[in-house]
Amino acid sequence: MIGPEPTPAPAQECAPPAAVPRLRGIDLARVASRSFYIQALFSAERQQGPGFAFALLPVIRRLYSSASERGRALARHMGFFGTHPVLAGYVLGLTARLEERRARGTPIDDAQIEVAKRSLASPLAALGDPLFWVTLRPLAGLAGILAMALLPLADTIGPDLRVLVCPLFALLTYNAVALRFRLVAVPRGYASADEPGKLLRSLRLAELKRFFERVSAFAFGSLAVLTLWPMTESADPAGLGPAHTVFVLAPFALGWIGAAVGLRRWPGRSVELALAAALVALILSTRV
Amino acid sequence: MFSELARIALLGGVLALDRSAGWNLMLGQPLAGACLAGALLNPGPQWELWALRIPLGVGVLLQLLLTDPSLPAAQRPRDTATAGVVGASVAILCLERLHPYLPLTTGGILWVLVGTMAGLLASVAGGWMEVPLRVRNQLSARRGEELLLEGKLGAFEALYWRGVGRLFVRGATWSAAATVAGVAAAAVILPRAARLVTGPRAGLIFAVLLGVAYGAGYHTHVRTPRHGLRWAAVGAIVLLLILLRSRGGAS
Repeated sequence: MIGPEPTPAPAQECAPPAAVPRLRGIDLARVASRSFYIQALFSAERQQGPGFAFALLPVIRRLYSSASERGRALARHMGFFGTHPVLAGYVLGLTARLEERRARGTPIDDAQIEVAKRSLASPLAALGDPLFWVTLRPLAGLAGILAMALLPLADTIGPDLRVLVCPLFALLTYNAVALRFRLVAVPRGYASADEPGKLLRSLRLAELKRFFERVSAFAFGSLAVLTLWPMTESADPAGLGPAHTVFVLAPFALGWIGAAVGLRRWPGRSVELALAAALVALILSTRV
Repeated sequence: MFSELARIALLGGVLALDRSAGWNLMLGQPLAGACLAGALLNPGPQWELWALRIPLGVGVLLQLLLTDPSLPAAQRPRDTATAGVVGASVAILCLERLHPYLPLTTGGILWVLVGTMAGLLASVAGGWMEVPLRVRNQLSARRGEELLLEGKLGAFEALYWRGVGRLFVRGATWSAAATVAGVAAAAVILPRAARLVTGPRAGLIFAVLLGVAYGAGYHTHVRTPRHGLRWAAVGAIVLLLILLRSRGGAS
């Protein structure tokens, strides 16, 4: 879809102008490191466009010698660009390859580069958002919470090291997946510039999402038991019977049910629901 | 107080970069922010037990409450990065300063509640502050394009790094300012309402809020994914069996 040339990359390029060097690994590494700032000038109008140009700067510096050529080449990438930030490196690598070919004399126009960028950026956004934002990030937070529930309590005088271990669990869970994508994205995008469809399939983003969804639900089920078990055990220390246990657990259960029902009706309103529930509980506690 | 605010500001700035600049390393999640703030503000051995459990409690509640399973375009603007920092900081600073006025046996729970409320409010207010930042970014992007067309790459790079710096400064100032506002509000309200703040009352509100957080977690982790309920049931049964087995082994 994007390859302007019908044959494999090295053989297809026209004889390069003597002054145009090839891109080096260090250039791609610089692009990868700058991709960590791709959203710094995020706006509704261009989204990650300025960040894309900023990340591509080392490539353009390598390929063009004059300031005006460099400026024009980068200005082409300042328009609208939107994809998932973790996966943006694949599009950057692909664009670097096309810019390199263009600088070396292959007839590639602006529209072809733009089409190539969008043909990869859009599906990466469509697959990356549900994987990273909707599934993996909540799962990583849950992993941190599970770590807190599973690790033993500190004694009363020593520091509670869970304050460091829990976020570490969350960070490791998320970055074991996300960082792996980020580190290889630019070189892989560069190497697969002629086969973006194959590249996209090889990432298996939809399969990963399904897997992490199941892990996430499994982990939440475990967390619910880990929370309810000690609550139930400690709810009735005097042995007053099941009715007392139900009475003690009722505020927690009502909060849970209320939030689950409320979020179905008003998705994304968990803050408002929490504040309202706390207020209702406060008022009820003063009346009863 | 100044050195504490400096630490809060530094942490808030770094977490704002993680959330907004594109690092996206998970540092900007409330659990990480609250725990890191707790570790940075640890007030010393006399508060050891609660001082480190409070940020954990605040972080867990905020993490469950502020995790939105919608796609980013459908999400409400919430500043989750600094919410954890503000919540944990307010809780710990209030614990140190206001505990003598409210000597409850369930004191830790009260400060978790105070921190969680502060974090929730800070996330909403911080989300509103995104709007002017985006407008400013739009202007910077236009200026950047002009610089590039003039061939001034160095100036474009400097402009971009200034945008990164702006995110840091915004996160730092917001974290520090919201913390000061939260502590000040608590210092005004709580001693006056000391008669109302009882252990059972704090426990009731905490239980309700914990339930709401788990309801939000259920919505995110179980209801949203396909077959979520099935896998949650498997997870619950597996853990129940492990707990029953370990209890049988212990007895």
